[in-house]
Amino acid sequence: MTSRSSLFRAALRIPPSCIVFVVLLVTLWVLRPNMMNPAILGTFARQVVPLGIVVLGQLLVISSRSIDLSAGGIILLVNYLISSGLLYSWPLLPIVLLCLGVGLAVGLVNGLLVGKRRASAVIVTLAINIVLIGLVEYLANGKPPGDVPAEFHALYNLRFWTIPAPVMFWIALAGIMSAFLGVSVFGRFVWSIGSNPTSAHFSGVPVERTVVIAHVISGLMSAVAALVQTSSIAVGSVRFGPELVMNSIAATILGGVVFGRPAEVWGPFVGVLCFALLFVVMTTMGVQEPGKLIVQGLIILLAAIFYGLRSKSN
Amino acid sequence: MSKVGQIFFRANSRHGLWTIPLLVAICCCAGLAAATADFVSRQNVLNLFAQAAPLILVSIGQMIVILVKGLDLSVGSVVSLTTGILSLNAPVYVTVPAAMLMAAVVGLLNGVAVTRFRVHPIIATLSIMGITQGAAMFVRPSAGGTVASEIVALVSGQLFGIYMPVIWTIVAILFGWKIVHASRFGLHLFAIGGGETAGTFGIAERRNVLAAYVLSSCFAAAAGIFLAGRIASGDPNIGTQYAVDSITAVALGGTQLAGGIGSLHGTLIGCGLLSLIANGMNLLNVSAFIQTVVKGAILLLVIALQPRKNIGL
Amino acid sequence: MKIEPLVQMTSISKSFGGVAALDDVDFQLLPGSVHALMGENGAGKSTLMKILAGVVQPDDGMIRKAGRTVRFASPREALDAGISTVFQEHSLLANLSIAENMCLGKEPLTVLGSVDVAVMEQNARNTLRGLGLNLDPATLVGNLSIAERQFVEIAHGISANADVIILDEPSAALNAADVEILNAQILSLKQQEKAVVYISHRMEEIFKICDTITVLKDGRNVDTVPVAAITPKRLIAMMVGRELAELFPPRPPRREGEVVLSIEGLRLTPDSAPCSIVLRRGEIVALAGLEGQGQRELVRSLVGRYAAHEGRVRIGSRELALPLPEDHGIRILQALGVSFVPEDRKLEGLFLELSLAHNLTIGLHSQHFELAPAGRHRDVIANSIKSLSIKAATPYTPVGTLSGGNQQKVLLGRYLALGADILLIEEPTRGVDVGAKAEIYKLLRAYANAGGSVVVLSRETLELIGLCDRLYVIHDKHVVAEMPAEQATEHAILEAALHR
Repeated sequence: MTSRSSLFRAALRIPPSCIVFVVLLVTLWVLRPNMMNPAILGTFARQVVPLGIVVLGQLLVISSRSIDLSAGGIILLVNYLISSGLLYSWPLLPIVLLCLGVGLAVGLVNGLLVGKRRASAVIVTLAINIVLIGLVEYLANGKPPGDVPAEFHALYNLRFWTIPAPVMFWIALAGIMSAFLGVSVFGRFVWSIGSNPTSAHFSGVPVERTVVIAHVISGLMSAVAALVQTSSIAVGSVRFGPELVMNSIAATILGGVVFGRPAEVWGPFVGVLCFALLFVVMTTMGVQEPGKLIVQGLIILLAAIFYGLRSKSN
Repeated sequence: MSKVGQIFFRANSRHGLWTIPLLVAICCCAGLAAATADFVSRQNVLNLFAQAAPLILVSIGQMIVILVKGLDLSVGSVVSLTTGILSLNAPVYVTVPAAMLMAAVVGLLNGVAVTRFRVHPIIATLSIMGITQGAAMFVRPSAGGTVASEIVALVSGQLFGIYMPVIWTIVAILFGWKIVHASRFGLHLFAIGGGETAGTFGIAERRNVLAAYVLSSCFAAAAGIFLAGRIASGDPNIGTQYAVDSITAVALGGTQLAGGIGSLHGTLIGCGLLSLIANGMNLLNVSAFIQTVVKGAILLLVIALQPRKNIGL
Repeated sequence: MKIEPLVQMTSISKSFGGVAALDDVDFQLLPGSVHALMGENGAGKSTLMKILAGVVQPDDGMIRKAGRTVRFASPREALDAGISTVFQEHSLLANLSIAENMCLGKEPLTVLGSVDVAVMEQNARNTLRGLGLNLDPATLVGNLSIAERQFVEIAHGISANADVIILDEPSAALNAADVEILNAQILSLKQQEKAVVYISHRMEEIFKICDTITVLKDGRNVDTVPVAAITPKRLIAMMVGRELAELFPPRPPRREGEVVLSIEGLRLTPDSAPCSIVLRRGEIVALAGLEGQGQRELVRSLVGRYAAHEGRVRIGSRELALPLPEDHGIRILQALGVSFVPEDRKLEGLFLELSLAHNLTIGLHSQHFELAPAGRHRDVIANSIKSLSIKAATPYTPVGTLSGGNQQKVLLGRYLALGADILLIEEPTRGVDVGAKAEIYKLLRAYANAGGSVVVLSRETLELIGLCDRLYVIHDKHVVAEMPAEQATEHAILEAALHR
């Protein structure tokens, strides 16, 4: 009995994303063995790079017991800034810096309202999101989206050996985030708040400031994700965002980061890879858009129930 | 503070601060009536009711959940799925019960996830929202289909010379009033939202919270029936705005998102104000996109004015 | 003729996490009597009453209600059996009206199925009138004063039509006139042949209204006596008198060090008396007193967690005006070399699922800017584990898996590692075994001998006498006495605390 329950506990400690990843990989291998080659899998992985980058920020805010639903709005705004032609004469670097600045600014507003003003994070980021979407749609109204500068697209299609450049970039960014959380004081603060905000307060952790910074980083990550997302398409578009936010929460939770658990980068990283595989598996199995939504919803729900059960068993 | 001031500013603090939005709404009405002659026209007033009725329905359900410290993000997808089910090629006595059953199941899932599995309400209803939205798109991939004529008549006709949207609004208000302010269940909702100790009074917390989520979904389904009758077809995206709109309306009416404080009249004022703003901007030819921006800004403002003790969700 | 007891509790035992709270306790209640339950903090009064009220289940023993054996799984069951409780903690819902709170769970309904507000308010009004209160039952509880709330709480307990009523410190928040009303009400309950259990720290009231007194000490029966047969002096003597165990390190000879922290003119609430406290280098000062008299608020007001009405704190050369900001009061004090060790190590102190190392070093990390590298502090961790003799497999063991004593040492270690000059400690040995207690006392004394200063508060008076150099006795939110520890006795402290 004890050995079985300890085995059960050990199984609970592995992030669910790893298990799901293995299951999906096996499924794909059975269904389409010819797809199991690095070039094709790399292309699949490339599709989820924007999601993966958003998740790097989302895991920070979720671990600090907050949430960020504004990624869609930021991506839309950055996409508009690049493709509208407003900045057509600008060189690449200032455009990138401007976009990152937009992400930082939105993140800061989110953070101040959530951390300092103590407003509900869901509502704040949701409201910011609809403000941004409305703004972009208003600005873009009537005008067809313009072209994305060619440099972006060239960068997107670059491959090192067989690995696409965006995937390399994502892995590097995840590595940096993981290292940052591991070695910086900020990482300790996020872990502490994730584990117990009251204890964090009594330990002298600046809880409010940490939440603000987590939101700023999350905003920045959304802007970076927007740059990658924009590079992937030749012309601007106003039709993405919402499902990306849903997926970022799903991947984070699947990766073992839930409210009140220490932030961890690689669990959610694998969670994002799960989504890459999931899209492929569902497409090969002929599952349409509705099916995908249902599966995503189920994944979030089951992962959350999994943690609910675990917190009860402790 | 003077007696009048006291009545005005904290008439009954359990009902939240609904007097200020009421004042704002009255000012809006006066301003719009002065600005455009169309505002007071019969057609526009009818439009206003038709716009407000589904929002009122969804918001009453949303408020019930918010009173017990919850939040229901899945209401919008339930609205959409309902219109999808109603636009199926089947008689009314099949589609309407099917839609209500679906709503009850969705509410039950939300409630069970929250009470039994202790999933955070936002996460639970967000995931259920995804599932319901997927189902809505499966039932009706794009806007279309035809809704039975009985339902269309139920929304667009008249009864005893009163326009149907007005009747819907009145019935919704009466029903909501009964549940929230004139029943044992309603009192227990306030008790559960008010503190951790409701259980010691012998209130079955889990069962009541579960019922709150089921009610919220059912109210959303009623809104779906109204909308389906209005557009006479199904649309998988028609409900999308209602999650945010209903939360905005409820918060605007003085209901505290932390639970335990709120009122039906506050929520009605919130819905009215939100509909008035949309209606006014339409009359003044403001772009639909700017309307979204304004809506978001209002929500942000209202939320920033409701600071809480804890940081986070 | 022998009167049949209403409630008969026999051989009740209960322990929490291996620490016995009650050991083989007997207690019986006669109809038409007011029974005082006395004992020091932690003597087991509250636990015994919580068992009777169904809040806590006993490990062993039997409860008979009117001759029948009963077992209460919940407060609801106890209430249904006619046992009603008014606990110290506020259980009323602030967002409901008085009437709604009093009827909650058993609301009267109209024919239409809605809550009958008129009947509900009439019932509530009658009950309140019976208590001599003229409150409008439609008022929200959140809008009442603390004393009024307390009264409604009592009215709620009495209105339940119970024949056993437990009043846990009902008079703590009441003024003299209100106490009169309460006493009259208790006497009328007695005339109705009900049994009242009365827990209070006010001697005068006990001798005025009670018939019988049961004294508990360390979770055991001391005696049950009729009030007429005892004097206040003897009662106090029965409550105290435990042996000072050999747990405490020797106290160095008294010396007058410089003042490192002084509190002047502190008033916790607008109507509480001002008080002043001084802490010198190298001494351990205790805030003693009965539970809930404001010791906790006093200490927490120094770190911004309680908004004191006014006051000034001088730490070294810096002077701060109270109240401090709630969100970073802790950090302000840490910067001035003052560490606060919270009471509840599980909820306020430790990160249970994080490693021992993280728990020890987080205080040090907090002193740095977010982008700074988090030092590994291997030497600090190794030193702490060694000097505090923390028993753990590795520094990476989750703290939640350690024993209570080791957890408490980790918590203390975190704040010692900060190198603070002053420690403010709440309940340094809550729920830890005797061995760990002795170690913690030794650590604190060593810290003081090395030039640190400590303010400690504890429910265990003996602990304070044994550990400290000087004590302040707190009563009713201000200092009522100050005494050197070598002259302090439980008796003296209790007398000072009960002084009226």
